[in-house]
Amino acid sequence: MTAAADGRLAEVTIDTLEKLAFLFASPVEAAPEVEESLLTTVRVEFTGAFAGGLEVSLSGPVLAELAANMLGAMDGEPLAPEDQLDALKELANVVCGNMLPALGGDEAEFSIRAPHPAPANRPAWAAPAACCCLALDNGICRVRMRVDAGAAPRSADGAAPGSAATR
Amino acid sequence: MAVNILVVDDSAVMRSMIQKTLLLSGLQVGEIHQAGNGREGLDALGTQWIDLVIVDINMPVMNGEEMIEQMHSRDELKGIPTVVVSTEGSQTRIERLQRLGVRFIHKPFTPEAIRDTIKEMLGNEVFHDRSR
Repeated sequence: MTAAADGRLAEVTIDTLEKLAFLFASPVEAAPEVEESLLTTVRVEFTGAFAGGLEVSLSGPVLAELAANMLGAMDGEPLAPEDQLDALKELANVVCGNMLPALGGDEAEFSIRAPHPAPANRPAWAAPAACCCLALDNGICRVRMRVDAGAAPRSADGAAPGSAATR
Repeated sequence: MAVNILVVDDSAVMRSMIQKTLLLSGLQVGEIHQAGNGREGLDALGTQWIDLVIVDINMPVMNGEEMIEQMHSRDELKGIPTVVVSTEGSQTRIERLQRLGVRFIHKPFTPEAIRDTIKEMLGNEVFHDRSR
């Protein structure tokens, strides 16, 4: 969509990581080349004023730290994979819920479906409406948001819709 | 007076975070019950004595707004103090819920937001002295 949408997505994700899990992240200009198999990804779909989806991918150490911090695990032992996945699902849910008003405005209503794991060999979204890549101490967090064809969200900088660029 | 609480959220991690926040808030906590959606939440309300409901909006099977509407259609449930903890960004929906008397806390929340909201709803009496 626009650089403003990318910037807003990065802001929302940074804020969510900090408040939800005490993780501090900063945007990186160029997303590093990372094998998809080294990332864990969840996707969440939404419908309402417009429809689309959002996916969040974390590298392994970041995922473990996210879950441990959210659950207050103190013993240093890694949490069970299902707990780590549940933490990532909640991160995606919160980022999506906080990003939608930036695109649709405060009056727009959405229904956010339950997040689900996305396999590494999933079909990629051709033209995300917004995307960002963040660097953390132990790895990366990558977020992409998709708005379906025919949807007309207000862009994060107030620009006319339909200006999505292929990424 | 210890407060029995029902936490309704489809994320087990979020239910655990809310439970830990409640236990650290200074609130005199009795029993904490959990449910994964609005339907399970209503079932719990039918079988347990609950003093406070904390509920998410977006959940499978029955969402939080439907659960709250059903609570308000039943005399025995409509007076239970209810807090919505959600990512909901629609002012239209938030105001619709607030007209039903529920309080709203935005995710990601701070522990202070949970504590202060419960204090405003239930009063200082349900908190240990040191947290007043």
